[in-house]
Amino acid sequence: MNACWAAAAALAALALLGAAPTDKIQSMLARPKVLCGRFDQQKQLVGLKKPVVSNGRFCVVADKGVLWRTLQPFPNTLKITRDEIIQLNGERVAVRMDARQEPAVRMINSVLFALLAGDLDPLEKIFEIDGALQERSWSVKLKPRDAGFGKVISSISLAGGVYVRSIVISEASGDHTKIEFSAIQTGDGAIRPDEAALF
Amino acid sequence: MNRGGLAVWFWAGVVGLLLAHNLYIWLGARLATDSDILALLPVENRDLVLEKAFGHMVESAQQRLIVLVGADDWEKAVRAADRYLEALAPGKNLVTPDQEMSPQGEQDSLALFHKHRLVLMTPDDERALRNRDKQYWVDAALSKLYIPVASIKAGAWQDDPFGLFGTWLQARARETPVRPRDGRLFVADGARVYVVLPFMVRVPAFSMAAQAALTPLLEDAREAARRTDSGVEVVAAGIVLYAGAAAAQAKWELSTIGIGSLLGVVALIWLTFHSIKPIALITLSVGVGCLGALSICSLLFERIHLLTLVFGASLIGGAQDYGTYFLCHRLGADDQLDSHQLLRRLLPSLTLALITTVAGYLALALTPFPGLRQMALFSAVGLIFAWATVIFWFPALASRGESNGGGPLMRWCAASLQYWPRLELHRLTLPTVALFGLPAALAAFGFARLHAQDDVRLLQNPPKGLIDEQIQLSRVLDAPAPAQFFVVRGESAETVLEREETLKQRLDTLVEGKLVSGYQAVSNWVPSLRTQEARRGLVDERLLNGAGALPTLARRIGSDNVWIVATRERLSKSRDKLTPEEFLSTSAGASVRHLWLGPVSGGYASIIGLRGVNAQSLPRLREAGSGLEGVQWVDRVGAISEMLARYRTYMSWVVLFSYLAVYALLHRRYRGATWRVIVPTALASIAAMAALGLGGQGVQLFHVLALMLLLGVGVDYGIFLQEEPSQRDPIAWLAVVLSALGTILSFGLLGLSRTPALRAFGLTMLIGTMTVWFMVPCFAGAEAPRKKLAAENGNKTKDNES
Repeated sequence: MNACWAAAAALAALALLGAAPTDKIQSMLARPKVLCGRFDQQKQLVGLKKPVVSNGRFCVVADKGVLWRTLQPFPNTLKITRDEIIQLNGERVAVRMDARQEPAVRMINSVLFALLAGDLDPLEKIFEIDGALQERSWSVKLKPRDAGFGKVISSISLAGGVYVRSIVISEASGDHTKIEFSAIQTGDGAIRPDEAALF
Repeated sequence: MNRGGLAVWFWAGVVGLLLAHNLYIWLGARLATDSDILALLPVENRDLVLEKAFGHMVESAQQRLIVLVGADDWEKAVRAADRYLEALAPGKNLVTPDQEMSPQGEQDSLALFHKHRLVLMTPDDERALRNRDKQYWVDAALSKLYIPVASIKAGAWQDDPFGLFGTWLQARARETPVRPRDGRLFVADGARVYVVLPFMVRVPAFSMAAQAALTPLLEDAREAARRTDSGVEVVAAGIVLYAGAAAAQAKWELSTIGIGSLLGVVALIWLTFHSIKPIALITLSVGVGCLGALSICSLLFERIHLLTLVFGASLIGGAQDYGTYFLCHRLGADDQLDSHQLLRRLLPSLTLALITTVAGYLALALTPFPGLRQMALFSAVGLIFAWATVIFWFPALASRGESNGGGPLMRWCAASLQYWPRLELHRLTLPTVALFGLPAALAAFGFARLHAQDDVRLLQNPPKGLIDEQIQLSRVLDAPAPAQFFVVRGESAETVLEREETLKQRLDTLVEGKLVSGYQAVSNWVPSLRTQEARRGLVDERLLNGAGALPTLARRIGSDNVWIVATRERLSKSRDKLTPEEFLSTSAGASVRHLWLGPVSGGYASIIGLRGVNAQSLPRLREAGSGLEGVQWVDRVGAISEMLARYRTYMSWVVLFSYLAVYALLHRRYRGATWRVIVPTALASIAAMAALGLGGQGVQLFHVLALMLLLGVGVDYGIFLQEEPSQRDPIAWLAVVLSALGTILSFGLLGLSRTPALRAFGLTMLIGTMTVWFMVPCFAGAEAPRKKLAAENGNKTKDNES
């Protein structure tokens, strides 16, 4: 169950790439049909002195879902669609979670797709939202409402302007993950053919 | 006081005691009734471990009630479930949500698992540890590290870097499709999502008062849930629902058969005697019979099964025989004849009739079915008391000279006998041959079509709606089969777990082949110490030590020796052994606690439950369990069916030998004419069986048992007619007609029962009794007239002497 919650948190955060709570933040954010870019991930794990770093590409396609491709140092692809979450190691499906059977997947997806449609209510149901707004940027801190969820994720912080710039996920175990986004492209040309083929 | 007076007072004393005792059991609510269908089933093998296993499987389900509230989306389902719970809230003394199965119950077990995580891994991972190279495990750890968040893991990365424990936890979660969602339990099938509402029934599931209170409450709740949205579906299953339906059915049948038989008998007597007094007398004898049966049974048995009472209601039609027989003769006898003298004349035939019928009932007690024994005893005792009432009271109560010439039935009876066909062996005419030949041909045809039917469902026939809901619920929840499982035994808990593991390897092949969807076992959660040891060794060798995956992983993530040592220490810190006792005391343990039989005579035992069992998988499962020490495949449904088949054969022989025994018994009195007494009943049995064949019905144990009863009842008619000075005496015939009509009425009503076993009894008796009734005069009047006259004169002389 914990695993599912963790995935839920991560993906709910991912969903915020396309939107953020409160109307003002929402009005600040661009809402392109296709949004792709580079991410740099830094994990600070309990017991490890050095952070574990990785990078890759991501794509958010309205009505279809999210693609998360780790390229360095270890190729790995995560695909979230309305019906399922699939983790691919190369061509091989390593993990598949069906939204019909796993409520956590369903929750992630409902949040994700609600956000892509600009509907913020589902997020309010799951998190307590605390936001700060500057002139051209914003930051938001999310805390899980559900106690079981809270035992896995202590908080998720987001910051950005027109697009989300960074996400920090703090797990209850003490592990932290910081993700930064850059080289953001929008429009049909943003997604590469091999990525589009995955949908 | 003369002997007759003494008898009257003696019996008055007995009846007084009966009345007092009945008042005590009814008013003091001391009459414990039972509607548990399992109580009808035999305890054939005295294997205490198996009995305990059955007990565990039943107990774990008996007080449970599981309700699914479904809709096409989760919000609607939740809303409907809330209405359902609200509607049930006033009945919290009857039924409450089951806290043990609530989604909050999970946390405390996690701490225990976490402590022992080194030895908790799936068989697949264990195999991979043996077979895969170091690189596989380094990659596994890295992939967990680099995916966006620690997606599939339990706790911090460093606590389970290779993901063995996380995968194991997921496998445990997959043992059920039920998931926590928004603080509730969620499950989905292809079309709907459901809120799972587990309940504990707080009152005994088989208490009729509890059922009566619970059923409307649950119906209201169902309606309340349904009102929230048109697409809402409520599926409920629980033993209490079956028990409630069975009890309601039994009560209804009890009153239908009881009141129906009583009204029928009263009508018959009125039509015969056109007088109130005979009605009062017969009702008295039947009433004393019923009181006696209830009293004795409640003394001998802890509780009386409702089906016993349903079956016992058919007693009314049978118990009136003796009274009617006496009254018919009183009516027909000379006014000069004193009632006590009349009794003396009738006593031999009355006694013989009682013995044959009671013997027929008691033969039912030869089966190992406790329910049948109770029914048999109830009926036999009832008959004896009704008979004794006739013997002790009727001479005094039915005095001479009270007849008013009788009613229309009596006149019709007297007239009808002349038109009855007679079977004269030395005068076989064409009509006689046609009359008997045609049915014989039909019977042969019917017999050729007979087939056996030994399904356990004969014992119970719950309403279809209940079964449908049960099937749907089992499918959606992928619930383990309650009647098919493995029992694993060993000298110690450790041996049991080791044997479970061996069996599970075989079961895994069946799971892969999709013959079953899975299994539940304590060893899924608690590996045997042997396996724990082996896994610890494997993890040391393949992952943690110098040549394992850990140092390579450390290099890849840029960590030093200090980290390697610290991580190794951390992972292999807990050297404690995980024991079943420790696990079973946690809340996760509660869900499989019923599988652990624990210490039993001769060691330890456990159950392996199976999910998704079907007809195809049964033989494969049996096969999987064979040849393994301490492993026993248990198929209760199959075992009961086998037993029904075995006793069907066995009782068929008993019926045959009973005919011989009855023949021997009767031969002492009737000599060369004995066959005339017994053949009509034999023919009726054949007719009843042939009718089954013609109707395409399977023969089951209960048909054969009914033949036993038929022998007892049918021979009475033969005796009644054969006993008479003139075998075609209208008075004897009247007694037979009344008795047969009473039996036909009672068993015909029993034939309407929804319980297949009782229906089988009823229909066999109905066809059988009708045939005997028709046949008896054909066989009775076949003596040479000269001899008959001589016999009549002889009897007259005897009467005058007495």
